[in-house]
Amino acid sequence: MRKPLAWGLLCALSPCLSRGLLAQERTTVGGYGEVHYTNATGPNTPGIANLARFVVYLAHGFNDRLAFRSELEVENAKLEGGKAGGEVSLEQAYLDYRVADALTIRTGLVLAPIGIINETHEPPTFNGVGRPGFDHDVIPTTWREIGIGAVGTIPGGAGLAYRVYLVNGLKAEGFDAVEGIREGRQEGQNASFTNPSFTGRLEWARPGLKIGGSFWYGGSADTNTAVGTGTFAAPVTLLSADARFDLGALALRGVITNIRIGDAEAVNTVFGQSIGSRIAGGYLEGAYDVLHLLAPASSQRLRAFARYERYDTQADVPTGVTRDPSLARRITTMGLTYKPTWNVAFKGDYQLVRNAAGVGEYDVLSLGVGYQF
Amino acid sequence: MIALTLLLLTAQNPAAPPAKVAASIARLFGPDVRVDTLRVDSARVLRVSRGDSLLGFAQVGNVLGKDQPITFLVAIDVADRLKDVDILVYRESYGGEVAYEPWRKQFRGHVAGDSLRVGKEIRNISGATISVHAVTLAVRRMLADLTAWHRSGAIR
Repeated sequence: MRKPLAWGLLCALSPCLSRGLLAQERTTVGGYGEVHYTNATGPNTPGIANLARFVVYLAHGFNDRLAFRSELEVENAKLEGGKAGGEVSLEQAYLDYRVADALTIRTGLVLAPIGIINETHEPPTFNGVGRPGFDHDVIPTTWREIGIGAVGTIPGGAGLAYRVYLVNGLKAEGFDAVEGIREGRQEGQNASFTNPSFTGRLEWARPGLKIGGSFWYGGSADTNTAVGTGTFAAPVTLLSADARFDLGALALRGVITNIRIGDAEAVNTVFGQSIGSRIAGGYLEGAYDVLHLLAPASSQRLRAFARYERYDTQADVPTGVTRDPSLARRITTMGLTYKPTWNVAFKGDYQLVRNAAGVGEYDVLSLGVGYQF
Repeated sequence: MIALTLLLLTAQNPAAPPAKVAASIARLFGPDVRVDTLRVDSARVLRVSRGDSLLGFAQVGNVLGKDQPITFLVAIDVADRLKDVDILVYRESYGGEVAYEPWRKQFRGHVAGDSLRVGKEIRNISGATISVHAVTLAVRRMLADLTAWHRSGAIR
């Protein structure tokens, strides 16, 4: 039976449609947020309390197949004219047209489907008050760009899903040695499409298990011919793999990422930077739900976790750059996550922030709350 | 006959393409089954039989995921055991893994009153947490309804 006919019947015969879920357009509001208290060791480092994120999720279903979804974020509680700090930005804003389970066309400001945190960043979904440092300096979360792509599940029941997008490229003028490609993101603001880029992900899921592989490929020279010419000048090639295991009380997750920046020497020459030609690293995290032992009947969680991150934004350097060993970072985080419900988390952790040079090292105590709905 | 069946299914299941409901019933109960509509209050229950023997019941429902309804089907056998859950239409941007057979099969064989909790009896899938919670809760409620109606004779 052809679908249009089926839907015609549906509309004719369905009493539920008039008061139901699909005949009418539907607007949904949600959100997430997190408040942090951090206190680092060392002189002149007072404790700081910050409303790190307040995000409003707004979605609208126009009909059974076409939907709009967005996240509007306020960072650091406020913006004030003439003063530093704070940010208001769109984290996502896209239209989905669902053709079939195997194919949804997506266009707008989309999240790069890379790693774990970039797409699934609501505070109750991860341990630790702040996001991992790796998800700031290597995978620049929240990484979003404008483009068009396809998402869906691969038919056949193998448990495979994919996302592929064509998006605007990164801009090499924002790259630096400490945060890698982070400030090269354009984030939907008058984004130059000089270097269209491809990004995508394939993931495989089973109950309690998700394994994914992601990529990004695209030039970054923008209009700066001194860096390079051509669509793929100063190419950024990212490959990443991640896994999440949920074995009842025990939860394990890990990510590993490798980024190559072609023409890094030219980027450094033109912009006076000392970026690496390769950025690499990852983390491993293990968590155990203590309440599984203490109160097996409870649906609440108290996870004790430890995470070890190791990454270097100068894993390799181009000619003309001397490696800075302080960029070879090692961050150990230990803490607790208490979740009275699955979508609210109270967090506390202690971090040892170290590097291969042994300079500028410190510890941080953090407390936080996070929610999503 | 097929047209009539589809018509009935359509009337019963507003948010699901009738072909999907028919395919789901055929998968769960086998081919050549008779499907009748029973009304209980405002709900519509599909009574599935072959010849003189009752095979079970099924119901189609909707539950809100993050921003869109997830249309699903729950089927029970004559002993009120859950035969299976089917995801008929999934409209959310993330979380489609709830339609995967390895996840759905965790529900099979359970009866009303069984503990069905995410993270305990029903394992979560990272990145699909909202859908996993929504579908688990909705299945638990539908299983309880179908069982109560069957035991009270409201459906038979």
